[in-house]
Amino acid sequence: MRGLKLPLSQTQRVRLQRAFEKLQSLSAKANSDASLTVADTIPVNYEDAFLKGHGTADLNGELVATVCGVVERVNNLVYVRALRARYKPEVGDVVVGRVVEVAQKRWRLEINFSQDAVLMLSSMNMPDGIQRRRTALDELNMRSIFEENDIVCAEVRNFQHDGSLQLQARSQKYGKLEKGQLLIIDPYLVKKSKQHFHHLEQFGVDLILGRNGYIWIGEHVEARDSMVIDQAKNIEQSTVVEGINQAYTPLEMRQNICRIANAIRVLTSLGFNVDLNLIMETVELSSSLKIDIHDMLGSEFHVLVAEMEAERRSLTTKRKR
Amino acid sequence: MVGLSVGEKHFIQGGIAQDLRSDGRKRLTYRPIYVETGVIPQAHGSARVRLGATDVIASVKAELGKPSALQPDKGKIAIYVDCSPTAAPMFEGRGGEELSTELSVALQRCLLGGKSGAGAGIDPTSLVVVEGKVCWDLYIDGLVISSDGNLLDALAAAIKAALSNTGIPKVDVAAETTSDEQPEVNISDEEFLQFDTSGIPVIVTLTKVGRHYIVDATSEEESQMSSAVSISVNRKGHICGLTKRGGVGLDPSIILDMISVAKHVSEQLINKLDSEIAAAEASEEES
Repeated sequence: MRGLKLPLSQTQRVRLQRAFEKLQSLSAKANSDASLTVADTIPVNYEDAFLKGHGTADLNGELVATVCGVVERVNNLVYVRALRARYKPEVGDVVVGRVVEVAQKRWRLEINFSQDAVLMLSSMNMPDGIQRRRTALDELNMRSIFEENDIVCAEVRNFQHDGSLQLQARSQKYGKLEKGQLLIIDPYLVKKSKQHFHHLEQFGVDLILGRNGYIWIGEHVEARDSMVIDQAKNIEQSTVVEGINQAYTPLEMRQNICRIANAIRVLTSLGFNVDLNLIMETVELSSSLKIDIHDMLGSEFHVLVAEMEAERRSLTTKRKR
Repeated sequence: MVGLSVGEKHFIQGGIAQDLRSDGRKRLTYRPIYVETGVIPQAHGSARVRLGATDVIASVKAELGKPSALQPDKGKIAIYVDCSPTAAPMFEGRGGEELSTELSVALQRCLLGGKSGAGAGIDPTSLVVVEGKVCWDLYIDGLVISSDGNLLDALAAAIKAALSNTGIPKVDVAAETTSDEQPEVNISDEEFLQFDTSGIPVIVTLTKVGRHYIVDATSEEESQMSSAVSISVNRKGHICGLTKRGGVGLDPSIILDMISVAKHVSEQLINKLDSEIAAAEASEEES
């Protein structure tokens, strides 16, 4: 059961095993031999010319895998895409990152890639919304836009020649994220989709599924002028210091945020892909069963979610036939 | 430990003020505890405890030794904690030493009682084989594998579980020995003596964030703390030890309040832990 770290009772274990078996039987058969563990032989046609890629090695004339993952073939190249690896960016991905450094004309962001990504001041929409050259003054005021440790949402722009990664945030929807929580999951669980920004209207919550496995769940904010917000934030902060806690997230919204976050945590520990449908179904399941938010992380709810997913997938495959 | 943005800090503080923390817990709820016993076959007793993403191992090793001249009727117990560099990059090299010492000292204070060995959670008189000559030396080692806050509580729970998993070999003493000589002993490898672990306390750490205090803080919540009080409570509800971390002062009335809360929380924790230990021992025997 993929090393699930849960104390399970006997019946729960049997139920979970059954759900996983059902899921296994439903998964596509054609691709099942593509997944490998370390030292598995990779089936290749030795007469054809092929190129050894990442995660492969030659052992006694046989091609073997050196990482756990899925075999990928691009023309002659054979490589293994590791599952539990760092994020591998693709141009156009929506990512969520944390600012680690404010440097000359750029911010450096930690995005779970093998190196820090770069967000140039010039590839940002300026707070005043005017297209113009960035002046030295703008450069000095960079910290009023993003500070160290801020969480920022951006898009992958391109790779530089030296392999470093450039981001851009040329839209109102990108930018600083506040009033919410960041969840870090394995990047392979977030699949590319048309929409990574979700505004869940019934909850008043924003959900951003970063392709790098950083997921933001926070209060909904309208696209806004960040300069004004920054000033407002400073005032807000000073009031907090004075001991007035008016600015805290309302309790009901906080419950929604926590419920969604825990739904994602459950799906992640079960190893299911995280997408909006599945998250919403898990949230609905938990609220319809009146499960306490914290109890969602217990064994019983894990089993319930696994059973629900098995049921759902079996229905959809039947429909396809 | 990565830093948090102002927005996140504010969110965490707000959550604690509103009694709904980031993972849906209330202020006085623990994360689910998961216990595994007998994880190290070479040791006399061992246990692994997981509290959310916090993961610790404790092992107990017993060795025959000589009791000190001042306390001939007592065995010796040593507790050491090591922070593995796999838990956090900052533990690499000598980075974890400060935290290791802090945890070791706190555990020694809470579990071993005074210098004379009086009031210890583990009864040192039960370790004596021949008074003044032979006794068991108990080495209790803790290892932090993964750190997500509340290490002290997890370590104390792991030590409690490891001790209840410990079997000390039965020792036969050769009868005819003169008073000066070291007696000959025969260690049995079939018969083991179990410890009485009912008196071993658990530690409840109350972390103060803003105006409220919480149990079982994650490392994110710990980064927001002003001070933390660790209270070790045994089954009878008696306080065995108390340590305070963090520079900010506390009002004495708050400490009294914390103690009564810790006593209440510890009841649930001990019961939960006991049932988890029993389940772990049962599953170990099965396999």
